[in-house]
Amino acid sequence: MAKNLSGELHVASANRLVDGVVVFLGDAGDWVTDIARAAVARDGRAAEILLHRARAEAFTVVEPYLVAVSEDDEGALEPLSLRERIRVSGLTFHAIAADAVRYA
Amino acid sequence: MPDTHFYRYDDYDRTLVRERIAQFRDQVRRRLAGELTEEQFKPLRLTNGLYLQLHAYMLRIAIPYGTLSSRQLRKLADIARRYDRGYGHFTTRQNLQLNWIRLEDAPDALAALAEVDMHAMQTSGNCIRNVTADHFAGAAADEIEDPRIWCEIVRQWSTLHPEFSFLPRKFKIAITGSPNDRAAVRVHDIGLRLWRNPEGRVGFEVIVGGGLGRTPMIGKTLREFLPREELLAYLEATLRVYNRYGRRDNLYKARIKILVHEIGAEKMRAEVEAEYAAVRDGALRLPAATIEAIAAQFAPPALPHRPAIAAEVERLRLEDRAFALWLRSNTAPHRLAGYRIVTASLKPAGAPPGDASAAQMDGVADIADAFSQGEVRVSHEQNLVFPHVAVDDLPEVHRALGRLGFAEANVGKIGDIIACPGLDYCALANARSIPVAQRISGHFAELARQHDIGDLKIKISGCINACGHHHVGHIGILGVDKNGVELYQISLGGDVDFGRTAIGTILGPAIEADRVVGAVDSLVATYLERRTDGERFVDTYRRVGAQPFKERVYAAV
Ligand code: HEM
Ligand code: SF4
Repeated sequence: MAKNLSGELHVASANRLVDGVVVFLGDAGDWVTDIARAAVARDGRAAEILLHRARAEAFTVVEPYLVAVSEDDEGALEPLSLRERIRVSGLTFHAIAADAVRYA
Repeated sequence: MPDTHFYRYDDYDRTLVRERIAQFRDQVRRRLAGELTEEQFKPLRLTNGLYLQLHAYMLRIAIPYGTLSSRQLRKLADIARRYDRGYGHFTTRQNLQLNWIRLEDAPDALAALAEVDMHAMQTSGNCIRNVTADHFAGAAADEIEDPRIWCEIVRQWSTLHPEFSFLPRKFKIAITGSPNDRAAVRVHDIGLRLWRNPEGRVGFEVIVGGGLGRTPMIGKTLREFLPREELLAYLEATLRVYNRYGRRDNLYKARIKILVHEIGAEKMRAEVEAEYAAVRDGALRLPAATIEAIAAQFAPPALPHRPAIAAEVERLRLEDRAFALWLRSNTAPHRLAGYRIVTASLKPAGAPPGDASAAQMDGVADIADAFSQGEVRVSHEQNLVFPHVAVDDLPEVHRALGRLGFAEANVGKIGDIIACPGLDYCALANARSIPVAQRISGHFAELARQHDIGDLKIKISGCINACGHHHVGHIGILGVDKNGVELYQISLGGDVDFGRTAIGTILGPAIEADRVVGAVDSLVATYLERRTDGERFVDTYRRVGAQPFKERVYAAV
């Protein structure tokens, strides 16, 4: 599957103020938890504008910044860096459950 | 009859903690209402232990000198359940980190903590951080004096100390009361070691300027012997010198270790001694009555006389291999015959090191109540410790720990890995730590093999900040980032044992994540082939040098 890995594509991300949850700026200027609904900037100028918009909408989030992403033929977005992929996917191992007693 | 054998809060402590929560509650309210910007709010939340990590806020809770009552541990479990995802991470600084706290819940979580006289102050920022101590304090057979008395004195002096709340950088103090250092005192900003001089007096060796991070350094002894009652005066003098000369222009050169390195131990000593001469007879000289009053709070529990040998233990030692191994690695000599110190391993093969669920914390609290005077310790090696277990009770404690999954007989062995949170949680990380630890401990799961390999400390950090102590691991593993790929740099020969403290040496080029287990296996195989009787991994390494290890690890390339 062809992927646009040019490094030109960006989304704006931040952590939600009340609980720290990872969010992305959506097309409508709202903050969404699903990267699939993030607004995509396709060149440098658009990225600048996206970051400005994100900062202007930052009342309910903490310190927005740009995240470089790739896009496949179906339009699915994935961050280029491992750090940002982990922010999207969550822990890469199973955390213990609250009531877990490991070998019980 | 006190319900703990360590310091109990007085009204002064309680008021201070309560006032702090009220202030923080209002700060959170104003932040959520948009009255404070993040820039204004961030230092306020950090002084209350609230960090923002990759996926959520993290609350770092101070566990002074690593000592907890069962009541406090149950409250931690309760907080983890109510305000987090029901588990926590015990850290190398004897703290507990909860990884999924909501900002709006943080004041309530802190209020719940205050109910058991705990808080999260001084777990962040450029202040004197929570003081750490030997986790066997007050119980160890080799102990000269309980270091927690001194940790508590330092805590009271340093809490919200106006002169030392804005140091050039964070400041970490560790204290041990034993010749066998279990508190890594030589890699702290100040390390204090209690010892008895030839005249029979007990005092401190004062070690200054150790640290890990980007520029690891072993601390220098500024004072061979400091009379105990002069401790605060000497600490105040040292911090003053640091506050005056420590570099505030460069974050990477701001720790006291850089100051000591740049001006040299001689000059540092002269500066500190001059300052000390000016303050030693002032208000900071500790009156004997003050020392006694605090020492009394740490008076050891009245442990009834118990038989040193128990028939059931002897029988199991012969018949039950798992028990025999556990007895060897997970229990240590107590100052009283008839008792042992028991370590609960928070490192079952394949599990995230140092993590415990709320149910497991409750289980540990139950065991402490039934078998260890209601007391638990957190070790800097990310395990939990029962300080006073009767030999008679060992089989029962072993079974109870087995039910919790904490009876793995691997303390001090290759499976007992220290790992920082790494890229799964930490905003500063380059690479993951926990999954690497899980794969290594899973690979070496077999306990008899771990015991054959013997004492071997693996320590893993996800970046150069070295929170996982990789510099002082017999095998250190450091995550680095090369063009977006996680790579791991291996170092050998680090150590924190007293008199042998050493920073590890990098073995060679960093390797990919999927080669780390193979590399550790090669290191172990090289050791097993070359060891002589009684040699630990690190001893063999020191004798034969890096070459054979290096050849074996990189042969596969
Ligand atoms: C929010 C997550 C964390 C952040 C932001 C963080 C940050 C840092 C930084 C920046 C340093 C380097 C300091 C320097 O060289 O001046 C450091 C060192 C250290 N941290 Fe952390 N850390 C985190 C988590 C932890 C955890 C979970 C532990 C315990 C498991 C820990 C224990 C240590 C230790 C032992 C050192 C090295 C000793 C020293 O030189 O200070 N840290 N940390
Ligand atoms: S060593 Fe680096 S990755 Fe690990 S906890 Fe510390 S700052 Fe984070």
